[in-house]
Amino acid sequence: MADKRVIVPLSESITVRQTVGYAARAAAGTDEDAELHLVVAVPYETTSPEGSGDIERAQALLDRAAAWVREDADPETLTVETAVIGADEYLFGPRDYVRAFETYAADHDIGRVVLDPEYQPGATAPMLQPLERELATTDLEFEEAPVERPARHERLVGPGSRSRLVTMFLISYGFYLVLGDPFYPFDLITGAAVAGIVAITLSHVTFTTAPTLVGSPLRTIRFALYIPYLLVEIIRANVAIALVILRPSMPIDPSVCRVNARVRSGLPLLALANSITLTPGTLTVRANDQQLIVHALVPDAREDLFDGSLERAVRFVFYGRDGAAIPTPRERGDTEIIGGDEL
Amino acid sequence: MIETLRFWAIVVLLVGGILFTFVSAVGVIRLPDVYSRAHTASQTDTLGAGLALAAVALALGWQGATIHTVLLLFFVFITNPTAAHAIARAAAETGVKPWTADTDEEVGEK
Repeated sequence: MADKRVIVPLSESITVRQTVGYAARAAAGTDEDAELHLVVAVPYETTSPEGSGDIERAQALLDRAAAWVREDADPETLTVETAVIGADEYLFGPRDYVRAFETYAADHDIGRVVLDPEYQPGATAPMLQPLERELATTDLEFEEAPVERPARHERLVGPGSRSRLVTMFLISYGFYLVLGDPFYPFDLITGAAVAGIVAITLSHVTFTTAPTLVGSPLRTIRFALYIPYLLVEIIRANVAIALVILRPSMPIDPSVCRVNARVRSGLPLLALANSITLTPGTLTVRANDQQLIVHALVPDAREDLFDGSLERAVRFVFYGRDGAAIPTPRERGDTEIIGGDEL
Repeated sequence: MIETLRFWAIVVLLVGGILFTFVSAVGVIRLPDVYSRAHTASQTDTLGAGLALAAVALALGWQGATIHTVLLLFFVFITNPTAAHAIARAAAETGVKPWTADTDEEVGEK
């Protein structure tokens, strides 16, 4: 019975149409009373600043997908259900998505998953492989929809590639001229050549999301505001740790703790993990998806970490002032002191 | 007047840098395991090198080379946590257990 019910996670990808078509045909071909569950997992809580608008977009996608199913299969024999899942929680990474699918599947007695090869919820990197790895640990059967997709190299000229190219060129040219002499023609010409080579070869690996005219300078300015704040934090932590080390009794109490950070993978997570390590007293040992395993030297440093001031500052840099107003990790229950065994 | 002030500012910054580097060296010797030592090793780079480079920038005054010292500091601040994280992660991966207050009681005073 469970095999006739199929769950299809959808996202705004180039192959979503083909995936829905495949799932519909496969389900309609097998049996009279097959059920197709189309779901969209939204990464953020709908109450959080980034979450607003997610639900409408998800609903619009579901409506379109339901219409596609009606085109591809006989509506008499195939029941279609649509749902938005994960709206009441924050989905961190593949593990959380699979858990959300699993919960939904258990509620509706579903046994099979049809995956879109380009499945990409939220603004994270493609996550097919990690998803499949996680799915393999569950009871759910899963299958990748056989879709035809444009070859990867098409991405070189995909949307946003011009802004990447220009930004990369300007950054490398600027850096070259800072190191050289901006008024010396030789440097101007060689700089342009070098920046051109760098931009052409590296621009598509440098940015995970294409830079925009307003957003990126704004983030740079906010990052510039973040640096003095980080420096003050570093000095404070340095003095505290220096006092601990110099005291003859050396009152240290190291502990390992886990913090679920609410920042996007990639640059924001890197900024947060690096800032945590940069402040003496806390050291990021592991960063699995958004789960940071942090070694804290003294309880004070750990408490500071749980208060999440750095996390809020990083969110301010990447999401703006509204994004920074979130509860502390302690209030969210995203913190845990673990022994050394789980490293 | 300004020159004396600058001189003493440089001296204070340098002494601060040396102090934190010294503390960091003491920490590496005194602290019990690789994780806690990684904490204090990063002090050398952050405040030790930070204050020393600030002194250099102040001594050089307003010229091209000053920008280079600021850039230098910027790269130290990016590479230092990456290296510290790599060391800690490698230790975790090879199964080094972090030292805790309980560990000392089991082993007895060293």
